[in-house]
Amino acid sequence: MNILITILFVIFAAFILTSAIMTVTVRNIVHAALWLISSFFGVGALYLLMEAEFLGVAQVLIYVGAVSILILFAIMLTRDLEGSQHRQLTPRWWIALIVPAALFGLLIVPTVMTYAWQLPPPPPAGQPPAISGAQQIGTAFMREYLLPFEVAAILLLVAMIGAIVVAFEERERRRRVLTLAEQVRLRQQQRRSAAPSPEPAATAVQASEATGGET
Amino acid sequence: MTDILRSWIGGALPDWLIVLIAYLLVTIIVLFYAVGNFIMMVWAERRVVARMQDRLGPNRVGPAGLLQPIADAVKMFTKEDIVPRSADRWVHLLAPVVSLAPVAMMLAVIPWGRGLEPIDLNVALLYIVAVSAVSGVGLMMAGWGSNNKFALLGAMRAVAQLVSYEIPAVTALLTVVILIGGMSLLELPYLQAGVPLMGTTILCSDPAGCSPLLYTTITSFPGSVSEPVQALDLGLGWWVFTPVGLLGFIVFFIAALAEGERTPFDIPEADSEIVAGYMTEYSGMKFATFYIAQYILNFALSALAATAFLGGWQGPGVAALANMGGPWVHVAAALSALYLLAKIWVLFFVMIWLRGAFPRLRVDQLMDFAWKLLLPLALVNIVSASLMVGLTQWTSTQWGGLFSLDGFAPWQRQLIAILVTAIINIAAAYWILSINQRPTQEEWLEEDLVIASRN
Repeated sequence: MNILITILFVIFAAFILTSAIMTVTVRNIVHAALWLISSFFGVGALYLLMEAEFLGVAQVLIYVGAVSILILFAIMLTRDLEGSQHRQLTPRWWIALIVPAALFGLLIVPTVMTYAWQLPPPPPAGQPPAISGAQQIGTAFMREYLLPFEVAAILLLVAMIGAIVVAFEERERRRRVLTLAEQVRLRQQQRRSAAPSPEPAATAVQASEATGGET
Repeated sequence: MTDILRSWIGGALPDWLIVLIAYLLVTIIVLFYAVGNFIMMVWAERRVVARMQDRLGPNRVGPAGLLQPIADAVKMFTKEDIVPRSADRWVHLLAPVVSLAPVAMMLAVIPWGRGLEPIDLNVALLYIVAVSAVSGVGLMMAGWGSNNKFALLGAMRAVAQLVSYEIPAVTALLTVVILIGGMSLLELPYLQAGVPLMGTTILCSDPAGCSPLLYTTITSFPGSVSEPVQALDLGLGWWVFTPVGLLGFIVFFIAALAEGERTPFDIPEADSEIVAGYMTEYSGMKFATFYIAQYILNFALSALAATAFLGGWQGPGVAALANMGGPWVHVAAALSALYLLAKIWVLFFVMIWLRGAFPRLRVDQLMDFAWKLLLPLALVNIVSASLMVGLTQWTSTQWGGLFSLDGFAPWQRQLIAILVTAIINIAAAYWILSINQRPTQEEWLEEDLVIASRN
């Protein structure tokens, strides 16, 4: 079983890495977003492999279901959809590769080599292993980590109120979506109010515009 | 399934292979079940809508037109597969797959009958919500990959609707989470045993004299966490009969209509406005994949609504048959599967009925409905559900000594809880509905409009 899990881990890890590399190298920005989604999926699968079902499902719910949809929305609502004329790599990209890799290695290698990993003892044969289920996470949030949890909640609330304030128009200036009949009536009224202008040339232009627009 | 296979070919194959084969078989069975239902649903929808609109509907192929879906399938298979020249080929190809796969994954955790659960996941409710959110990515891919204005518009509408109606749906499901104190769908039908309104609180006074046909041993139910008890069980303690469950069911079902893009909320594919929405540029099998995805989504959402609020496979006679033991357990399983199927079809009939009865909503009406009506109702319902759990299960120490209900019998506590939650829910529903009916700036003067448009 352990070999099977190792093989699965290697497959998922390769999948995540490929997706992540494609995310930063592909030229089309929508494709980049889609590769990002597949890498999120791979991370969710890794959580499931560790039997952290709640974390895996929450990963899919939050990152795939919410964040990436938001990213796609943002991309599609902005101009310059393709972004294909932008260059992806600078000429000296290999320096940018070596320096962070070296720094990361400097950080991780001594840690891995020297730290005494305290692995939990294997569970007794009869009962299932204590996995990090939803109930344990909920209890931890409400007991040990109550303050960080509340701070995060207040932060989100502030962000939400800010978004509402930014998006909120004042009540007098708010405009209802007009129905088709109202739009037609409005256009007629505008034309009627614009019609009694003194110059004959202007009215002629108006009339031709009106007929051209309507037919 | 795994145990059956083990007993058959236990020695011949390694154990992991047997597990793999067992899950493969379960997957195939569940998918065939869903697709078989899909075929019947297509036929039923066309016939029922035709009947409501005083038409005949398909009635030529086979008896009463029953073979019409097969004729449609043959047509779909043989149709030319067209990809627009300026479309993004890969995204266009993958979009139907990405929208069908999550919907099929939803089927994995639903208990289809007593002892007929494909997977026991302890976060099943969250899993369903998470997976159904993924299909939005597929719709987005379809809309963008087709390189078509209508497709993109439809995809934007679809995803906006999906995202905003997910909130009332999840909030309504939260009441179930509060009631069962967990997110497993597996236990849900077991917890909805008993009699209407009172649940499993009518206990057997004399353990020797209670017939196993009427009384079931309940291990954990609202009202007792300690030892197993004998309670009157007709298989009808569905949550829809309690005030909390009723409000939750209504909110969830309406939100499910919107998530499944059923008619009052079908603006993503409004044929009269944007051709067919995100499916505009699809034909042949790819279009059929979208079609299947949509119907199976409706099927899965109906199954979820039935499991969460209508008792799932629970029904009169299931517990009695199961208590008789021996081969009757299998009869009970078959009967329970039939009950769930019947509930799903009743819900699907209501969906068709609504399609025949209502016109399409406008976008602003759609959003108002979700945010001003459904969400407040669902939030009030969460308070009611918490009160229900507190009044039926908490001891006086859990209440902090505020008041004690320890002296009451379970059925008395249940009755108190139902009265309290009924008062809260009815008052809240009345209040929220009356707020929403108050006319707000409806009377726009024509002059105001002119002034507003000039500014």
